[in-house]
Amino acid sequence: MSKHDLLIIGAGLAGLRAAVEGVRQGLNVAVITKVHPVRSHSNAAQGGINAALTDRGDDWRDHALATIKGSDYLADQDAVEVMCREAGEAIIELENMGVIFSRDDDGKLGTRAFGGQKKARTYFVGAITGSALLHVLYEQSVKYDLHIYEEWFVSKLIKQDGKISGAIAFDIKTGQMELITAKAVVLATGGAGRVFEPSTNALICTGDGLSLAMQAGAPLMDTEMIQYHPTTLAGNGILLSEAARGDGAYLINSEGDRFMEKYAPDYMELASRDVVSRAEQTEIDEGRGVDGCVYLDLRHLGKKFIEERLGYLQEVALEFRGIDLSESPIPIKPGMHYIMGGIKTDLNGATNIPGLYAAGECANVSVHGANRLGANSLLDTIVFGRRAAVNSVEYIKSFGSLEVDEKELSKEKSRIQNILDRPRGMRSSELRNKMGSTMTKGIGVWRDKNSISEAITKMKDLRGQLPNVYIENKGKVFNTDLVSYLELEFMVDVAESICQGADIRLESRGAHFRTDMKTRNDADWLKHTLVQFEGEELNTTTSDVTITDWQPTERVY
Amino acid sequence: MEAQIKVKRFNPENDSESFFQDYSIDVTEDSTILDGLIKIREELDGTLALRCSCRASICGSCSMKVNGSAKLVCKTRIKEVSPEGESVTVEPMGNFPVIKDLVTDMDLFWSKVKSVDPYVKTNFKPEAEHIASNESMTHLLGVMNCIMCGACVSECTALEVDPTFTGPAALAKAYRFVADPRDEEKKSRLDKLNENAGVWDCSRCLACVEVCPKDVAPMERIVKMRDLAIEEGYTNTSGYRHTESFSDSIKRSGRLDETRLALESTGLLNISGLIDLAVIGIKSLFKGKIPPPLPHKPEEADKVTSIARRLDSQESEE
Amino acid sequence: MKLAFYPGCVARGAAPELYKSTMLVVDKLGIELEEIEKAACTGAGVLQEKNQKLGDVLNIRTLALAEQMGLSVMTICSTCQGVISQANHRVVNNPEYLEEINKELEKEGLHYSGKTEVKHLLWILLEDIGIQKLQDMFNINLSGFNFAPFYGCYLIRPSDALGITENPKRKHSLDIVIESTGASSTDYAGKTRCCGFPILLINQKNSLKMVAKHTGDAKDNGADAMVTPCPLCHLNLDGYQAKARRQNKRGKADLPILHLPQLIGMAMGLDPKELGINKHLVSTAAFIKSIKTKVA
Repeated sequence: MSKHDLLIIGAGLAGLRAAVEGVRQGLNVAVITKVHPVRSHSNAAQGGINAALTDRGDDWRDHALATIKGSDYLADQDAVEVMCREAGEAIIELENMGVIFSRDDDGKLGTRAFGGQKKARTYFVGAITGSALLHVLYEQSVKYDLHIYEEWFVSKLIKQDGKISGAIAFDIKTGQMELITAKAVVLATGGAGRVFEPSTNALICTGDGLSLAMQAGAPLMDTEMIQYHPTTLAGNGILLSEAARGDGAYLINSEGDRFMEKYAPDYMELASRDVVSRAEQTEIDEGRGVDGCVYLDLRHLGKKFIEERLGYLQEVALEFRGIDLSESPIPIKPGMHYIMGGIKTDLNGATNIPGLYAAGECANVSVHGANRLGANSLLDTIVFGRRAAVNSVEYIKSFGSLEVDEKELSKEKSRIQNILDRPRGMRSSELRNKMGSTMTKGIGVWRDKNSISEAITKMKDLRGQLPNVYIENKGKVFNTDLVSYLELEFMVDVAESICQGADIRLESRGAHFRTDMKTRNDADWLKHTLVQFEGEELNTTTSDVTITDWQPTERVY
Repeated sequence: MEAQIKVKRFNPENDSESFFQDYSIDVTEDSTILDGLIKIREELDGTLALRCSCRASICGSCSMKVNGSAKLVCKTRIKEVSPEGESVTVEPMGNFPVIKDLVTDMDLFWSKVKSVDPYVKTNFKPEAEHIASNESMTHLLGVMNCIMCGACVSECTALEVDPTFTGPAALAKAYRFVADPRDEEKKSRLDKLNENAGVWDCSRCLACVEVCPKDVAPMERIVKMRDLAIEEGYTNTSGYRHTESFSDSIKRSGRLDETRLALESTGLLNISGLIDLAVIGIKSLFKGKIPPPLPHKPEEADKVTSIARRLDSQESEE
Repeated sequence: MKLAFYPGCVARGAAPELYKSTMLVVDKLGIELEEIEKAACTGAGVLQEKNQKLGDVLNIRTLALAEQMGLSVMTICSTCQGVISQANHRVVNNPEYLEEINKELEKEGLHYSGKTEVKHLLWILLEDIGIQKLQDMFNINLSGFNFAPFYGCYLIRPSDALGITENPKRKHSLDIVIESTGASSTDYAGKTRCCGFPILLINQKNSLKMVAKHTGDAKDNGADAMVTPCPLCHLNLDGYQAKARRQNKRGKADLPILHLPQLIGMAMGLDPKELGINKHLVSTAAFIKSIKTKVA
């Protein structure tokens, strides 16, 4: 049995930032991750990270307003204030850690424009900002000699006397299972994109932490808020960054028109993502698309500019579509990308379970509300990753000693062995594929009572079929067949929660657009939705949104 | 279309040695090899082990040998490597121990990366960023594109014979810090990299440059660091002597003086090295293979000398 | 066919048998050669480490000299071919750089337009002469023999500078030419690897490990001899084979290393001694005998 003060599950940006902070604060920290840290999905973020640097004429309150408006007023404004106020410091710290941010002519940090904001305050590294940040955080983990359980899969959180006491995990490379005790756990497991198909997300984004938190008794908040990113490739769902539009690219329909003029005459291509995605989908639905797509046009930006600022996009376009962005527009469509919903936390990452914290995409503070602005996610991970670690210090110090009963480990070992021993049945991929298409259809850019109900029924059905899934691979070494199944179990919890949230929110707000209830209803629904396990059943409630200085108004771009 | 994929299998729990397994899988015209492997795993054989995640050539998980050479399989279309429907052979990366099937043990790889102190060493300035030109940051973008996939290591001919060589990935990473204007330890980094198993052990075979899916060109970074090390005054290597001698020979006569090169690279005080050379020299003499004492010069060799002189003075002006 | 000839330094230095065998073979092939007398060494990548621009100027100068002669260039060394191709590729894709270099060349009355072709004899056999015509010139069928191809790094990497995308057969050129003689091409891991020559004088231990591995593997897989289009590779694989295999416990130096023109000359029925095959450090006596037996 290994013992730590702070156990962080997930080694993406939020996880590594929390870990580094934990070490700085003098705690015994360990990170557990199912892939090597640099393989984490943070590396796929391309465009940049927002911050209002006050010493150069920017105002964090401007950033806060843009964020709150972007969230369609569902964000908790005290949380948004925290994030926007701390952003400047976070960027400077990242630069000091060595991030190779782009620079202005005077050698200071340079910016690009981004969605939902009038002022350019997105700091970037070419079109690989996420990757650049993640690699630097990994470098910091090397510098601080961080203890990392690399390629270990967490299957369960452990509680004792109502408090978190650790996790059970196994080494994917050897199958060896262990009970790892910790006085506090930070969930930083990222998103759950694989619940949908297609998605921009990596295959590892299966919502593990969301399910682990629910199993431990924590609620998920605003799960119906699923972001469809405007510019993804059809079929495989691969992302083309908003940075293209930030740097001047146009969206055009089959008639060659910049259609955003109709939907967002002020912000045009840089309106909030939900507005742009709905605009695109409308164009496509009304017959002004081609093969279910519209076009992203970068030709006017010139080859040299594209290769220098948007190099990764050019790579993707050439490799996956054989298109040179300087010569041809590229077909794109809205694609599932991010989950604004997540584990409910306070401003310091704490959930309702003592000792359990969450940060990053898997958490919901809420800073993104009903729609996230581009380049706010990277900021979210850094700010709240740090805060979660800092906040855990006092709790850990006042904890006393931790003794955990080994019987939890034998229970979990049996459970997994029973799964492995199942007789021949269906493969987990069959259910996963069913889930993906059902969820995309039911909880898409458009949704309504029928689509949501159908999804609820099908997900319930799917859950019922889980015991029929068999694992062909009976081995211990690198058994991805087993891992896929355990991930599927997590995904079912997340999928059902998403459906429940969509079902009870009887309005349209941000990314949750109901064709049967098209308007926003602040009177009844300026609220968060909450989904939580009560025994085996999912129970839904609501909670209030924190408003400080910005009263909700009509949201126009 | 139907794709034929031949995969090298090895399960440490069952097999004493590796073997090839043929799979036939139905895919679309523009499917990648990764699409094919995932489909095999999902529909035909749940025991197949491979690493993959992003599917978009940014996470670096899926580097494997395809028809003998390392590639990221998520961005390699099946039609690209087998236009007529021929079988595609997929194996784990070379120069790595195999854990299972296509999954390799990356422990040594990561410890080599760690060995180059891969983090910027600079004074922390909480008030503001370090000032740096956009040019210097854009220059680093090339090497920052490295996603640590291991393809270069898989094909490195120096690592094949000498596993202690630091290797192209770790050395390219080292360059990222050597060339960062904010890093304050350039000299000590170069000192270390100049040593055994460092920059001088690269055989300059271009294999890493050829296979890198992100155009990082590790060999070029290694060569650049050799240059930088020499600039910092680290000249006590046979590598330095070799480069100097080669260069001088051309500047002097327009051609390579092989005998002089061999002697100067070895080092005129390196008695055992010189004896070694003499042995080969005598053998060659008997076969009539000794280069003429005065090397064959091109006509108007003085023109070459003056070009060299002009460019040298241009460089010192810069 | 008339071509400007760039023999490289080693063919004029430590591997005179390469020069001689080339001359005999091109005569039979009907290729007239005019040597580029003023051309300097390519720098072999080593000069470029110290001074990239000087290397580029000298190599573009070579091409400009050929252009003055109105001829395409033939090389007989993988390293020469690679280094000149890389320089050519650099200037063809960067007109500003070409202009800079031309400013230097103008001082000598030279100018490079970017249009001169440089080809290794191996590619000329494959593309300009053609395998069919080549086979018509062969007098001896070498079937039953097994030759291990060793390309030399700079003839196959980097592929974009060597026109391999446009001419994909170049990737297998040496295998194709070996097979055209009736012999089979040995399948072994090292054919496209590094011979170790660039680090011979820097890290001899590693260099010799490479020699031992490639010659040992080829021999284990049934090779009667190894054929290489690069005299630098030849120097290492032949000159250091004894020490390498002894040091690395791969047996004795029993794998003869042939230059490409020597293989072609043999298949054409030329006397092995004339081709200089008896001049190598690794004994070729037994091999020559087996060839003579075949002829008889």
